[in-house]
Amino acid sequence: MDFPGRDASQRVIALDDVSLDIRKGEFVCLLGPSGCGKSTLLNIIGGMLEQTSGTVTVNGTPVSSPRPNEIAYVFQESTLFPWFTVLENFRLALKFRGTEDAGWRDRAMQSLTAVGMEQFASHYPKQLSVGMKQRINLARGICVGSEVMLLDEPFAALDEQTRMVLGEDLSILLARRGKTIVFVTHSLAEAVFLADRIVVMTARPGKVKASIEVPEAHPRSPDFMLTDAFQDIRKELYGLLRDEIRQTVAAMRQARDAQA
Amino acid sequence: MSPNMSSNAIRLVRLLLILGVILLWELYARMVATSSFSAAPSQVLAQLWPKVLGEPNVRFAIGITLIELVVAFVMSVVFGMLIGVLVGLSDIGRRSFYPIVLLLYGIPQAILLPLFVLVFGLGPASKIAFGFTHGVFPVIVNTIAGMRNVNPLLMRGAASMGATKFEQLRYVMFPHMVTAVFTGLRLAMTMTLLGVLLAELFVSQGGIGYFTLLYAETFNPAALIALVLTLALLAIILNELVRMIEARFSRWKE
Repeated sequence: MDFPGRDASQRVIALDDVSLDIRKGEFVCLLGPSGCGKSTLLNIIGGMLEQTSGTVTVNGTPVSSPRPNEIAYVFQESTLFPWFTVLENFRLALKFRGTEDAGWRDRAMQSLTAVGMEQFASHYPKQLSVGMKQRINLARGICVGSEVMLLDEPFAALDEQTRMVLGEDLSILLARRGKTIVFVTHSLAEAVFLADRIVVMTARPGKVKASIEVPEAHPRSPDFMLTDAFQDIRKELYGLLRDEIRQTVAAMRQARDAQA
Repeated sequence: MSPNMSSNAIRLVRLLLILGVILLWELYARMVATSSFSAAPSQVLAQLWPKVLGEPNVRFAIGITLIELVVAFVMSVVFGMLIGVLVGLSDIGRRSFYPIVLLLYGIPQAILLPLFVLVFGLGPASKIAFGFTHGVFPVIVNTIAGMRNVNPLLMRGAASMGATKFEQLRYVMFPHMVTAVFTGLRLAMTMTLLGVLLAELFVSQGGIGYFTLLYAETFNPAALIALVLTLALLAIILNELVRMIEARFSRWKE
């Protein structure tokens, strides 16, 4: 992925030679230093950005524009429309997708119940906390019934405790539905706790540095975090990431000095 | 103290304030002022009905002004929003057109009034046109401003869910614009009223301007104030109407 910028000095090669196979029903975490192109990669997979070279295929067909029937997105911040109630938001998502039917209300309520938010169906987003909104965003992603879910640091704006609870709930939810998930995160613990496989990326231009399996069945209990297996993987990730983070910081300093 | 009590207390203070001003005015008019230049509230009230509002010609003049106002306002809103959306949609449109709008908006239009009379004549057309040019700019400016700072994440979210360009406009951009557009509408209402009344007062052919002039020149301040108050009341009612409609559209903000 090559962002040309206004001139040569602004050109950014965000991703370079990334090759990734994700199995159906797999939960993959993309982990890497800031600015390594994690979100760019996610946007390319989701068809929100067109790559400058290379191909993305989902279920055998190449992706070049949003494919709401197969791919649902959850962003870092709530994308619930503030001028509609929670339920109206669900309806709109289905309408955009072209799958609004007589049963939409039942399905919406089902997915709200799945995240424990059913009593807030007729609230406006402004009346809900950040964590509640992200729960509902997740529920909306599940409700539209796409096979693939792309989550771009969905818990980044939450406090750590809410984050842990939501992480556990997500693990339980997804274990039931067998969706294919790509999850971008900064958090090592979150990655280990949630993922079947963690893809560690290098500093910019982002490449795949390592791919680490987490052999633990879903749903995972919080006790998993206390095991040695968990700690070992976390340590391994930290070792892999440390150099990349340093490199990113050094590159940022260099860019700053070059400008001065 | 409960919040209910305090809001009642505030209402009471407000009422007392208004009554106090009216009382002071009454005292001043009766004891200090000259009767040919000023009138007490009680005298104004006595003039209002049956003299001023009982006069068919005055009622007709008010009716005409009201129609001119409504026509000018509706035109301002329709054309203002249309132009605003078309300009606001494209970056080039906004960058090339917007400065022109802002420049024109800055001109005190009173100096153009003779030109309007020249082009549109002495009848209602010149008043509607003058009201329209006053009202349309706030609508355009606020519509464009409203389109500018829509949360890009919501647009991306809608796009990721498969919303078409039109659906993104209809369900994301337009609701987002409501607040700014209504600010424009309220301003437009005030400005349209100003334009229409200015034109009415300037070219008086038996309209409101004629009567205000008549009452002033025949030293009938009570009737003059009665007429002015009627117009002020009209303006307040129209403004409140716009505000009530706005409140209906803004329930999600509570």
